[in-house]
Amino acid sequence: MSVTRRTLLSQAAVIALATQFRIDPAAAQEKVIRFAMPQDFTKIYTFVTAEYSQGQKDYIALVNARGGINGYRILAEVSDQGNDLPRAIEQYERAKSQGAILVDPLGTPAARALTPRALADKINLITAYSGRSDAADGTVFPYIFPLSPNYWTQIALLIDYFRTQSGGDLKGKKICFVHIDTPFGKEPLPILKRLQEKLGFELSTFPYTPPGNDQSAIWPQVRRARPDWVVFWGAGVGQTVALTEAIRNGLPLSKVSSSVWLSESDMDVVGRQQAAGVLKVEPCASGREPRLIQQILKEVVEPGKGSGAAEKVGTAYYNYGVMITSIMVEGVRQAFAKAPNGPISGEWLNAGLSSITNFEAEGLIPPTTVTPQDHQGGGKARIARWDGTKFVPATDWFTAYQDVVWDEIRTTAAEFQKSGK
Amino acid sequence: MFYRRAGILHTRYQDERQLWPFAFDRGLVATVLAILLVAPFAFDRIYLVTYLLPWIIWSSAALGLNLLMGGAGQVHLGYGAVMGIGAYASVHLLRAGIPLELALLAGGLASAAIGSLFGAAALRVKGLYLAMATLAMQYIVDFIISHFSIISGGSQATLQVPPVRFLGVSLASDAAAYYFALLICVGIVLFMLNVRRTSFGRALAAVREKDYAAAVIGVDSFRFKLVAFFVSSFVGGMVGCVMAVSYYRAVSPDQFHLDLSIQLVAMVIVGGLGSVLGSFFGAALILFAPIVLNHAVAFGADTFGVGISADLRAHLPLMLYGAMIVGFLLWEPLGLAKIYNNARNYFMVWPLRHNR
Repeated sequence: MSVTRRTLLSQAAVIALATQFRIDPAAAQEKVIRFAMPQDFTKIYTFVTAEYSQGQKDYIALVNARGGINGYRILAEVSDQGNDLPRAIEQYERAKSQGAILVDPLGTPAARALTPRALADKINLITAYSGRSDAADGTVFPYIFPLSPNYWTQIALLIDYFRTQSGGDLKGKKICFVHIDTPFGKEPLPILKRLQEKLGFELSTFPYTPPGNDQSAIWPQVRRARPDWVVFWGAGVGQTVALTEAIRNGLPLSKVSSSVWLSESDMDVVGRQQAAGVLKVEPCASGREPRLIQQILKEVVEPGKGSGAAEKVGTAYYNYGVMITSIMVEGVRQAFAKAPNGPISGEWLNAGLSSITNFEAEGLIPPTTVTPQDHQGGGKARIARWDGTKFVPATDWFTAYQDVVWDEIRTTAAEFQKSGK
Repeated sequence: MFYRRAGILHTRYQDERQLWPFAFDRGLVATVLAILLVAPFAFDRIYLVTYLLPWIIWSSAALGLNLLMGGAGQVHLGYGAVMGIGAYASVHLLRAGIPLELALLAGGLASAAIGSLFGAAALRVKGLYLAMATLAMQYIVDFIISHFSIISGGSQATLQVPPVRFLGVSLASDAAAYYFALLICVGIVLFMLNVRRTSFGRALAAVREKDYAAAVIGVDSFRFKLVAFFVSSFVGGMVGCVMAVSYYRAVSPDQFHLDLSIQLVAMVIVGGLGSVLGSFFGAALILFAPIVLNHAVAFGADTFGVGISADLRAHLPLMLYGAMIVGFLLWEPLGLAKIYNNARNYFMVWPLRHNR
């Protein structure tokens, strides 16, 4: 096309406007504590992030509506990083320059990319249900906080549940592990191997190619293996496909289990009644009964200040969001208890986060204790069963084989330490 | 007025042969280079680390791909894998104590070797079939990296880059890492600007336009396609090393997935096939448009108090981004570099209306 004076001028105007966006410096006089949530709303985690983030925002709204912590408001900057690393790094650096002292990226690629930066910058990086499992070792990863049972603990919990359900002995039982063929999907394998040696069960593993929207070749093999127990390990679309295939192949769903990644939204895809009986690891109570969720409903959602659709309140991932945020805020409380006058910084919050003792978020979560050594929070969770309408707890809060899990954590953390500085 | 084009004709061959025959262009290049050189002192750290540094690295990668796509006319949908090979090779060497200078070259050579191996197999086919063959390379390399824990680094699949020095300077600081990336980028730019004036570059152009015709005039098209794969993969491997050393400071398989390959192809096409400048424009648009649009939408929603839902707020920038790419390609199918060139041509004899 030809360039005329008018198009040139209009382009120049557009460029001039585009350069006007700049960072707004943190208002120094306002009493705020800045968190940043650069999460993936659009690429892979999608609805998981939407529900998780809704829980986070509603809980923070509850805290702020009650006057904040020590008169400080929590300001959470939520943004979309689209599972794209340069975008996640940009948002992390922007948050840092605005004075954020905590970053929650909810995504394994982003968490891994930000780990070296967070360690160097002394910013607390929350890697709940994501990131490195060995970050539970607080001596090697002082600023990385999983704050939730990592995948090694989750598989250990499931195996222990299978053991008690099989009468205390897994010898000769057959366990099939169906997993997405990525580092995340293969993560539980070392623990499974160790437990296999210890307990003497038979283990067959069935990898499927990412993203897992076709698993029809795998599940007939699982059926033919005649397993006593089946674990399926994936995320996003792979989970609903796995469950659908398990049903199609006539596997008894009461013997099929998932990690923490299973929610009501998945059940809507699979069919709520058809999926009845399937198990999952539950890191916090689901549903609307917990007192904390009731308070959110009364003080945030009913006055119309909720951040999303009201019917999502109390779903599994919503409650995960509330759970993790309540631990973060408890960290802030502890930090104020230790040093009421601040100064508010990553180090200040770090001291608070690593001195949380038996925190239960009013019954929402298992008693969680975070120490400078243990950033996992104790590794307690429970197994829950989908009854067609909701997840019903099948066990009490418990933990299992933490010795095996911590062996693995220390080994890989030591490797990390050796390779770094 | 700016270029002083009217009425000036070169009287010596070397004047005509310069990379930038016009004083104005030389001044512009010098100015941009000067800005890039003082950037660590002039700009806020966030702009250096999260805009300039990735821009330089992704532009270098786009330049490498552009040699193959714009120079030799061969589509490559596995360039992310090529960079991954270079990154993994060099990081493993760095961890074994090899100095960065050698690891950088070795990373390039590893990529070039594996890249041209795939190239040799893939070059039996053309066009869309070549695209599929290179796509297969992307998946094979992804698979191998994540399935051999000796490559990927075990169950956590992240390899830390040890502290490194380049020519005796530690790259620990942001500025040093930036200058390292800039140095490599300038080297690649000079190579790419000059390569098209060599017999190699002209042979590539002949192959690009029509490989039968090239063969008829005596250009061995298979050989030159293969050399193009080799050179382009070498550049990709080096840039992969730079990306690992000065930007991510750790390598993991998800950094080099298909997403990166598609991103680079988009940069080359939106920027302008075969254009050095276009690679920079394309990289800037593809990398930063989502970020800027996201901030703009968030800023707009906050300032004007528009109560849009969280979902729409997350997806609106994506829609605008898509519209922007389509818009640019409709406006000028030859890419952003052509848009720049149109403006430049307009100013060439401004205020007169016609250039020749």
